Amino acid sequence: MRIGVDVGGTNTDAVLMQGSQVLASAKCPTTEDVASGMIAAIEAVLADSDAPTSEIHSVMVGTTQFINAFVERKHLSPVAVMRIALPLSEGIPPLVDWPDDLRAVIGDHIYMVKGGFYYTGAEYMPLDEEAIAEAARDIQAKGIRSIAITSIFAPIRQDFEERAAAIIREIAPEMNITLSHQVGGLNLVERENAAIINASLMELSQRAISSYRKSLEVLNLSANLFVTQNDGTLMSAEVAEQSPVMTCSAGPTNSMRGAGFLTGLKEAVVIDIGGTTSDVGFLLHGFPRETSDANDIGGVRTNFSMPDVLSIGLGGGSEVETGDPVSVGPSSVGYRILEKARVFGGDVLTATDIAVAAGQCDIGDPAAVADLDAETIDQALDEIHHKIEGAIDRMKTSAKPVPAILVGGGHVLVSRPLKGVSELHRPEHAGVANAIGAAIGQVGSRIKRIVEYGSQGRDAVIKEVSDQAIAEVIAAGGIPDTVKVVEIEEMQMTYLQADSMSLKVRAIGDLALED
Amino acid sequence: MEIRTKQDVRDMARGAALLGVGGGGDPYVGQLMLQQEVLKGRYPRVIKASELADDAKVVSVCGIGSPPVLVEHLLSSKLLSKLMDEMEEYLGYKIDALISAEIGGLNSVMTLGVAAQRDIPLIDADGMGRAFPKLEMVTFSVYGCSASPVMIMDELGNSALVHARNDETAEHMSRAISSSLGAMVYSSLYPMSGKQVKDFAVHDTISLCFSIGKCIRESREDRDSPFDGLLELLHRPDEQRHCKILFDGKIVDLKHEIRDAWHFGTITMESHGDSKDVMVVEMQNEYLAARLNGETVTIVPDLIAILDSESAEPITGEQLKYGQRVKVLGISASPIMRRPECLAVFGPGGFGFKEEFRPLEELVA
Repeated sequence: MRIGVDVGGTNTDAVLMQGSQVLASAKCPTTEDVASGMIAAIEAVLADSDAPTSEIHSVMVGTTQFINAFVERKHLSPVAVMRIALPLSEGIPPLVDWPDDLRAVIGDHIYMVKGGFYYTGAEYMPLDEEAIAEAARDIQAKGIRSIAITSIFAPIRQDFEERAAAIIREIAPEMNITLSHQVGGLNLVERENAAIINASLMELSQRAISSYRKSLEVLNLSANLFVTQNDGTLMSAEVAEQSPVMTCSAGPTNSMRGAGFLTGLKEAVVIDIGGTTSDVGFLLHGFPRETSDANDIGGVRTNFSMPDVLSIGLGGGSEVETGDPVSVGPSSVGYRILEKARVFGGDVLTATDIAVAAGQCDIGDPAAVADLDAETIDQALDEIHHKIEGAIDRMKTSAKPVPAILVGGGHVLVSRPLKGVSELHRPEHAGVANAIGAAIGQVGSRIKRIVEYGSQGRDAVIKEVSDQAIAEVIAAGGIPDTVKVVEIEEMQMTYLQADSMSLKVRAIGDLALED
Repeated sequence: MEIRTKQDVRDMARGAALLGVGGGGDPYVGQLMLQQEVLKGRYPRVIKASELADDAKVVSVCGIGSPPVLVEHLLSSKLLSKLMDEMEEYLGYKIDALISAEIGGLNSVMTLGVAAQRDIPLIDADGMGRAFPKLEMVTFSVYGCSASPVMIMDELGNSALVHARNDETAEHMSRAISSSLGAMVYSSLYPMSGKQVKDFAVHDTISLCFSIGKCIRESREDRDSPFDGLLELLHRPDEQRHCKILFDGKIVDLKHEIRDAWHFGTITMESHGDSKDVMVVEMQNEYLAARLNGETVTIVPDLIAILDSESAEPITGEQLKYGQRVKVLGISASPIMRRPECLAVFGPGGFGFKEEFRPLEELVA
């Protein structure tokens, strides 16, 4: 048996699962220290199921703790930033576009070093090892404990970043080192930013993961601890300590993956309706479709592969204005729905009140909304469905109708067939889809690089990169028979002669778990 | 106009993205460079061509290479400074002012950075009033100013001097040199006199670019729709400037294809509601032709911009996605760009279209 936990901003959810069965689930408030909320949620599912703790072999945690810490500028460490690219890139040093309040926390410890590769992988300048050693001594003397190292075209050639790390470790073995190729793809500024964010969170992640471990001890669980990353696959707690930034979009990913798991659908629109907003995303091959457009984390430009999610201001707590026309949202009573909504004795008309008045669900006191006239109810429902249909339409990649999955507490708002949807699913346990998503138990790898097919030929190059992706999944604990390549994306590059391609390969496998 | 703050720099880059009409290279790298200069207190000075002496010495600066390589290499201020030094040494005179060859995309923002760095003015003008994919597609070239000598340089100290028999050949040679040096080099080219700039450039485009970026930001706050502000700025028939919202709808189909390293694409949009109007925009690196229900409504060199229908943020060809809500804007090219000799180089025929150029204000009354 295994336990999936999702630590959200408001609630910490837990599920106990065996195979594909959900044995128990629980929702508890998220606590300031995270660990005690986690303990409460796990205790609740254990109590609910009477499962012996010795049977629990794994605990999988999805958390927004690190991204929230970064956005709120809390618990961040100063970072030494090393860039290996000189004489290239000298005019645009690291951190130039960071918000001032963050720069104040991260500090101004910048080391630009000679060395680098072209996009072809050819070296244009050897690595200046002496400069790296000197920087390491300087960083150590300043008392800084985290370093982010970025070298030009690192997604294609990792060796300079790795060599630099080795030199630094010899001088300062205690240093926390983040290498850019481990956290980001092409685009130097964005990849470097990701590495710096990661380095700034590393001390926090070490403390947090160790508190998760202690929680398991308190609960008498001797389970393996895993953390979910942005694409929904798992990493071991040891890897998570080193790469907190890889958890930053685990929330929506887990919810979408959970929706796919509960319905068995591999391709569908997922609509997660919460209290204030609805997140609409698209599952492809069982994973959220991703976007790598420039995105912003706490005011810093990055280009993570993030689930491509559209948030709209519609949820169970959305306020309803009964004018002409009737409007629903985006303002919302949010988590205060239990005191503000009419059916709960409040005086604000919310989307939930409309659903109750329309007889779509049995929540609170239906008498409190008995005075609403049929036309108002009908118009509000029109508006709710219209908003969701608009979001679905934006997220689809073609005009063809697709299946849709409704999850989240607000799913009761939807009562009619939706335009552009072939079939609508409302799975059981939809309210804890995120914790279920955390507990699916797969590992993955992704490789992105610029290749030239040349004399080797396209098939041989793709095979070589695919084999490497598969080997990485197996190394991460994937069962060899289950590992497969789930995505190959080729993109030709403009203004480059020859047959240069940006090639992305993603492989996934089931994690070796004894159930 | 004055560029003194981060916000000013961003406004400039937003305008350059719009005038990039889908291509031109991401202005972000140029924005970061210019921002660095501004934060150091080195502000670019923009002057009108009319302030130049007829015998003033002017050159252009531009990057030649691949956008995905640019975003790894970033920029070296030292290189740009050395490039200018060596160009002056080769030409045997001091350069009095810079001019951007291309207002759209990266190059104009970068040239502002170089002007700030060297403390020489940038002329409020460029060679196309938009973005085009090749270095001979500028008014300078059409009117007999030669791109050569083209001084090409990279950060490692490699350099080349191109003397080509015509500007098309200069483009081919420069691109070959760029390919052999990691696909990103910088060039100084189109040495011109003040008189030539006055006669042959597309004028007032730097200030227009800045006004566009600023107008989008400000009218998001002050107006019902940022497009109200944009139209007020860009539609001024008495100044021979026309701007129309050609379409309001969503993207329903995208086709991309890379041939000979050029980006070809067809973007299909459908209108909201029941009217079933269809807009198709054809692109070759930049948006070149817009057709409403099969009828041409704007064609190159007139400008076509695709913007987010709410925020009016310009969307480049690479950022387009199925389902996006967009407005398509047609903007008249500057009168000089519509002269027959210019149309012969970068009119519809220059991109393989069979049709004749017709101005936007005739196509959509």
